[in-house]
Amino acid sequence: MEEAPMSYIMVWLAPWLGAVLVLLMHRVGGRAKGLVGVASLLVSAIFSTLLLQRALASEEPLHFAAEWVPSLGVTVGYYADALAAIMAFVVAWLSFLIAVYSLEYMGHDPGQTRYWFFFTFFVGSMEFLVLADNLVAMFIGWEGTGLASYALIGHWFTDEEDKWVGDPGRKALGIPMWFEPSHSGLRALVFTRLGDVGFLVGIAVLHIMLGTTSLEAMAANPAGWAALLASKGILAAFLAFFIMGALAKSAQFPFHEWLVTAMTGPTSVSALIHAATMVKAGVYFLLRVTPILAGAASALRVTSPEVYHTIEGFFAWIAIIGGFTAFMMATMALVSRELKLILAFSTASQLGYMFLATAAGALTGTAALGVFAGLSHLVSHAVFKASLFLAAGAIIHAVHSRFIDDMGGLAAYMPATFIAMLLASLSLAGLPPFMGFWTKDTVLHAAHEAHAQVAFMLGFITALLTAAYTMRMVLRVFLYEPSNHVAKHPPHEAGKLMLVPYALLAVISLAGGALWPKLEEGFAEVLSEKTLGLGTPLHLEPSVSLMAASVGMVVAGLGVSFYVYHILVAKPMETISRIPILYKLHTFLYDRWFINAIYYRVVVDGLKALSRAIYNYIDQAVVDNLYHRFLPWAIMGASSLLWKTLEHWIDTGFHVSLVNGVLSFSDRVRRMQTGILNHYILFLWLGLTVMLVLITWLAGW
Amino acid sequence: MEQIILEQPILLSTVLVPIAAAMASWALGDRVKEDVHAGLNGGALLYSLVIYLALAWRFGLDKIVRDPWVWDVPGLGRFSMIFDAMVFPVLVGIALVTGLVAIYSVPYMRHRFEEMEHEGVKAPGWGAYFMMYTMFAAAMLGTVMTTNTVEFYLFLELTLIPSFLLIAFYGYGDRVRIAILYMLWTQMGAVLFLIGALALGFNVGFDFYDPATGRFMLGFGDEGLAGGLATAVLAAMTIGLLVKMAVFGVHIWLPYAHAEAPTPISALLSPNLIGIGGVMLLRIVYTAFPSGFSSMAPILLFWAVATMIYGGFMALQQTDFKRLLAYSSVSQMGYMMLGLASISVYGFAGMILHYLVHAYGKAILFLTAGILITMLHGLRSIPRMGGLAAKMPVTAALALIGFMNITGIPPMPGLWSEYLLVRGAVEYVFSRGVLEFVALGGGLLLAIGLSTAYSFLTMKRIFYGSLPDHLKEARDAGGSLTLPLVALAAAGLLTFLFIYWMLDPLMAILSQVYG
Repeated sequence: MEEAPMSYIMVWLAPWLGAVLVLLMHRVGGRAKGLVGVASLLVSAIFSTLLLQRALASEEPLHFAAEWVPSLGVTVGYYADALAAIMAFVVAWLSFLIAVYSLEYMGHDPGQTRYWFFFTFFVGSMEFLVLADNLVAMFIGWEGTGLASYALIGHWFTDEEDKWVGDPGRKALGIPMWFEPSHSGLRALVFTRLGDVGFLVGIAVLHIMLGTTSLEAMAANPAGWAALLASKGILAAFLAFFIMGALAKSAQFPFHEWLVTAMTGPTSVSALIHAATMVKAGVYFLLRVTPILAGAASALRVTSPEVYHTIEGFFAWIAIIGGFTAFMMATMALVSRELKLILAFSTASQLGYMFLATAAGALTGTAALGVFAGLSHLVSHAVFKASLFLAAGAIIHAVHSRFIDDMGGLAAYMPATFIAMLLASLSLAGLPPFMGFWTKDTVLHAAHEAHAQVAFMLGFITALLTAAYTMRMVLRVFLYEPSNHVAKHPPHEAGKLMLVPYALLAVISLAGGALWPKLEEGFAEVLSEKTLGLGTPLHLEPSVSLMAASVGMVVAGLGVSFYVYHILVAKPMETISRIPILYKLHTFLYDRWFINAIYYRVVVDGLKALSRAIYNYIDQAVVDNLYHRFLPWAIMGASSLLWKTLEHWIDTGFHVSLVNGVLSFSDRVRRMQTGILNHYILFLWLGLTVMLVLITWLAGW
Repeated sequence: MEQIILEQPILLSTVLVPIAAAMASWALGDRVKEDVHAGLNGGALLYSLVIYLALAWRFGLDKIVRDPWVWDVPGLGRFSMIFDAMVFPVLVGIALVTGLVAIYSVPYMRHRFEEMEHEGVKAPGWGAYFMMYTMFAAAMLGTVMTTNTVEFYLFLELTLIPSFLLIAFYGYGDRVRIAILYMLWTQMGAVLFLIGALALGFNVGFDFYDPATGRFMLGFGDEGLAGGLATAVLAAMTIGLLVKMAVFGVHIWLPYAHAEAPTPISALLSPNLIGIGGVMLLRIVYTAFPSGFSSMAPILLFWAVATMIYGGFMALQQTDFKRLLAYSSVSQMGYMMLGLASISVYGFAGMILHYLVHAYGKAILFLTAGILITMLHGLRSIPRMGGLAAKMPVTAALALIGFMNITGIPPMPGLWSEYLLVRGAVEYVFSRGVLEFVALGGGLLLAIGLSTAYSFLTMKRIFYGSLPDHLKEARDAGGSLTLPLVALAAAGLLTFLFIYWMLDPLMAILSQVYG
């Protein structure tokens, strides 16, 4: 066992310490708090690099654990196998770059303490989650990211209109389709917490069976506990609960809605949430448990086929959910008018790819393929999506509008941003040789290998849609005819602190792509050999025909958008509004398949109505009235009834009848006092006889 | 579990010292300033807190610490006092909250006195207030340390009278009616419990802990009573304490009493008093009837989840902040009951820990409501609030911490209790089939989802959004209206971080006594 120094806990501890420092410095003005935050993230990034180096060089996972709550088996420290170490590294450096950007982007914001506190807390929680060696600690980091995202999405809690997301005034099925920051924060927390309860139930189940929640124990004999669960008939239910947290966190259907409106936060926060933290936690969780579950499935394939089929069914479902989310969100991105919103739809769609890839890989029987495909796409997406969001922030800031209708022709004003965003966009679109191309290709490859036809087709079509909406976005923002808004307020290029991070990331997504064919084998090997639950090296066999087909889709998508927005310079909305069926389709997509409206109509309004009905008709009408009106009334009624009847009878009995009785008795007695001696003697004898009889009777004779 | 017998009756002193302070306050009356009263009574209660911490520190929590005095009451068993890991979180919760709220009472009640003067009501002054306040607090401390059912009942009765008077004298709205209502309800609960306790006592015994041997008398009711009587006694004692807890069905007194009590008293009633019912259900009723209680568990589990959900739904309907918090307490009692009904060491530990968590959280929240009332001219109506975080950032942060406690978000200890409670409940259904498993999971999803929803929706309605015109002058309170909340928040953070110190011995004693 490799010696694991404690110092690497700085990967998660440094950002948390940074958070504490920021809080202590709440009275200090200027950039000090930002600098402290950035510095703490730099420390974290450096340690994550050292940790990655050590972990990849080491035979065994690097594992350091200090007891925290022995009675629950909860430890703190780090568990750095290849998966965790790579993830921690990506998270730390991306967060650092985003923080550097924030120094300028949020430089004039009055809520500095809050911003930097939650920013660093966010990163610390994410790293804690990634490096946790047990599920309870992971859950703590998990909830920490939930809290931080809530606070940051609602950062501008005074809800000014320029901070909203959606079209003010627009309604779908009577439900408002614009969202204030405070509302969006609430949505993020409630949506994700719902899934978290399922996660918690899953942890509890594992804890009951294993007596611990450590990942290693979970991976030690997965077939054992899977079979036990199956014997109790709850394996499928357990899997559904256990994965629910990840689905919610990573905004997969049906939990995707929160991510869309999370755009109300500062754009740097969107970059953080979409690229490095929060939504990637769900994917990471899936990557963590997939090898373990797949191990259980393959071990039980022969002996307990029904357990095998349950687990395979689970993966098939995840693949479908991923593919469906990828497709659905891409269709929404096609029509969106808000720059950040296009990117948000795109994130949910790309996360769907990651779910699809991981689950499909497991279905092929080689979990390593899924982990490799999922993690590769996670990393490449993290890089280009961070770049895109940061660039978008600069653009929205320069233009003073979040709508692409107010943009156009910005290439002339912001050339460096244009080039950076173009590079990152082509990576998103999946054009060779960008990183996004290679990793998306592994996703489709895994889906194809798994023979998950439906999921594969959804993913395949999504490739075309992705290219189309990405090209539309770039053109509408940079090369399309300038809007009046731009003409009136000529925008300016972003400052260096903002520009450098996203330009750098854009370059990485190109350079990384160029080097990918060389790196791929090594990456796959390290990952498959040194990740918990895996162990056999993975050999990639790329399919050239599939690659060609997906490039065809990408080119087609890019081409359509290019033709429409650059050659024709058309205004498609004018055509669409003239044709009713197209207009309806547009509305359907624009209003997010009406899913949000349906949630509010059915779930929110339903629960509200239920709550009101229970309050009015049960709590107040029945319970309150029963105890506080009916019972008192009944008691008073009973009392009055008793008063009038029994008490009256007793009263008259004692005070009237009895008195009268006594009186009449004494009257009669008095009348016996006749004064005649014979009468007295008679009474005497009679009395004596009666007494004699009584005594003989009582004595039992 | 080893029993340590103290040389001096230190545990009794943690009740008597506050009572002495209460008497002194009464005697001093208006001759000293309110700050002196607060210092005297708060100090006395914090003395108790220090003693509990010191005892835990000195002996470790893996032992049972007993007072030297054992009072043999002819026919009623033996009265003594003990202190162990099971009651430690409860005692800390009571002593800390009551001690801090004593300090908070000064600015709040000053405001309340002025308000009542405006209404033309002459309420008894500071001496009386603090006398009743501290009697109430001391009696609560007493209930938890008892070893005998009648002894427990006596302390329970002692909590009732001062709290009744506090509501009747200083409450809001229709305070006398509400005070009587409160009195009748809790009295009914106490008497039901007493009937059960007497029937149990005269047939079997009154001691649920044997001061001589240092053992909990596990199963003494199950063994000593015949079937029909055992069921009746168990039902009477359980329902009696459930009324005290205000679980669904017998909850309806709570929203009145807790909403209309003067706010410092709400902060004592809500987390501290009602939770005692849950803890003592374990310590007395479960101890007496482990098998009888276990056979009721399915009903109790269902009832617990129903209470969690029901309280959540009701909280969503409220527009009065304090009433919302009151319904939230109903829901939180469902959480505690869930742990109890799970009949597992994890669930029991979760319940006891949740007592403390709820004490932190709900006390902070009621005190937040009090800050809004004091600073914003009696404002309690949520629809008239909004955007206050801009003007009252500290209050908003504290309220957030309060809600984080009751919804189990780190770094607050609610995370631990929530996990333990879920862990216990899942253990109960684990081997009972898929239907039970899914039903419980679904129920928890809805229940915890509702708690999150009403908590953070309330944050939004009060603190976020645009600031209405009539609140432009709002500002943070500061001073002794705020510091107690900060202390509670800090205590929450420390509890989260150092949970092992409390939880490990708690799990150990629970496994040993009930495992």
